Amino acid sequence: MAIRQIRILGDPILTKKCKEIREVNDKVVQLVDDMLETMYEADGVGLAAPQVGILKRLVVIDIGDGPLVMINPRILEFSGSQTGDEGCLSYPGKAGVVTRPNYIRAAYTAEDGEEYEIEAEELLARAICHELDHLDGHMYVEKVEGGIHDAEYEEKK
Amino acid sequence: MTSSVNLRELALQIILAVIGQESYSHIILAEVLKKYQYLEKRERAFITKVSQGTIEHMIELDYIIDRFSKTPISKMKPAIHGILCMAVYELKYMDAIPASASCNEAVKLAKRKGFSNLSGFVNGVLRSIERGLGQFKYPQKNENETEYLSITYSLPKWLVALWQKTYSGEEIEEMGKAFLAKRFLTIRVNTAQTTVEQLKQTLSEKQIQVKEDETLPYALHIAGIDHLEKLSEFLDGDFYVQDISSMLAMEEAGLQEGLTVLDVCGSPGGKGLYAAQEMHGTGMVYCRDVSAKKVQKIKDNISRCRVTNMKAQLRDATVSDAADREAADIVLADLPCSGLGVLGKKPDIKYRMNPDRIQSLIQVQRSILDVVCNYVRPGGILLYSTCTIDRMENEDNAAWFQEKHPEFELEIQRQILPQEYGCDGFFYAKFRKTG
Repeated sequence: MAIRQIRILGDPILTKKCKEIREVNDKVVQLVDDMLETMYEADGVGLAAPQVGILKRLVVIDIGDGPLVMINPRILEFSGSQTGDEGCLSYPGKAGVVTRPNYIRAAYTAEDGEEYEIEAEELLARAICHELDHLDGHMYVEKVEGGIHDAEYEEKK
Repeated sequence: MTSSVNLRELALQIILAVIGQESYSHIILAEVLKKYQYLEKRERAFITKVSQGTIEHMIELDYIIDRFSKTPISKMKPAIHGILCMAVYELKYMDAIPASASCNEAVKLAKRKGFSNLSGFVNGVLRSIERGLGQFKYPQKNENETEYLSITYSLPKWLVALWQKTYSGEEIEEMGKAFLAKRFLTIRVNTAQTTVEQLKQTLSEKQIQVKEDETLPYALHIAGIDHLEKLSEFLDGDFYVQDISSMLAMEEAGLQEGLTVLDVCGSPGGKGLYAAQEMHGTGMVYCRDVSAKKVQKIKDNISRCRVTNMKAQLRDATVSDAADREAADIVLADLPCSGLGVLGKKPDIKYRMNPDRIQSLIQVQRSILDVVCNYVRPGGILLYSTCTIDRMENEDNAAWFQEKHPEFELEIQRQILPQEYGCDGFFYAKFRKTG
């Protein structure tokens, strides 16, 4: 396992479209482990492969209920809406208001190579939408309503 | 994606810092609110209410949890203890939050904090408290008064016992109620700069609730402020935050124009500013304290309130200074104390203070009084005050001083209890130097 370097907004790789993963091999499993470790270390709740410089359709998410690994994920259905603050590990210390679907249904391949479907609401739905955008070269900053603000204000000396 | 801010997680951070005695509740709360300035007023109010309410009611909450949990609190992980307390506080005191939400959020928070294995325990305890809270039996007044007062008003047993030596059960009950009551922020209007009417109007225009005080014409009670430090009237020095009890003591100080006033433990400067403003720019107030940080606070307040007849000085009140001998018309000695009168504002004091610390504070108070009484000129005033309710530090110390320094005559002595004005508990004793 290793911590990988997180790419920051402005890095052209974050604007590229990612490729399908044809086979869940050892290399993919290694990448999944590294991405989880990198995400936990950075105190994130989700991380997409292009954020560590790999143009593959793979995201990892953990909103506090344990890790969710999604290979070649697709959103099948969505409904409702939620509006709230969102931040990204590729744009540290910032946040902005984004509106997302409140419910989604998605299909993906898991680490075991099997196909699964998941229904998600609220934070999990938000996280899946956010990470899947990365796979097509998009970031939340393109969707922000009302401007980006600092996620924390440190005391000014 | 980064984790969004979880309000309960922030509240928990405050509660844990206070339980672990790493910080004072009002300080850590201010730090957190400063760090998350972008949160909405409603969210900031939620963090404040949940964290301060949980801390205030901790003894009662622990009592409830201990009756429903098979694992005693002493064996719980601090985070789990904090999460349970916060949720029980919500269940009992925050009617606007559905019980199921309080339980679910507590379970989620336990997971988020890395205790997935204990989420079932948290859920179980909270669900049974939710069901049992209605029929829950508190200690009865007629069976064990100390226990009843301690649990009902979240006062440590030693403190109830201490007060029982001086006050009746009814009086202590009123104190307990007053400390837990919702309170306004009390301010003193800087009448050199503005009028009470004018300030009332500008504050009301900013959707701040303003009430006039029934006793003091220059005092107002305000509520509904989000960022005090950003309020232009505050920054311009149109008012100063000060408790009614402290103003009542200053009313007795015998202030008139042209006097020399020495405040020996003066930070952050409230009483000094009162004196300087009361003397309308004449005379001089020397406001001292023992650390550079405290002196800086005095300086900040002097410049904010734009007074010219007041100076901040770095001095240790326990060290005698020959140059000050009989130099002051009025010596203000508002000394370090156990703080048992300000539990309404600083609830964690009740968990930190103990009888041993009170004993050492009494020694400090006496040694300072011994030194600073020399600074009073013949005919001048020594005003001893504390923000505590404790006979040993207050009435007993005044008696001790009178006996040791017969050249001083005790003119007035008063213990103010919080229920009297919805204020802090406060004590003052006014001595006049006759010899």
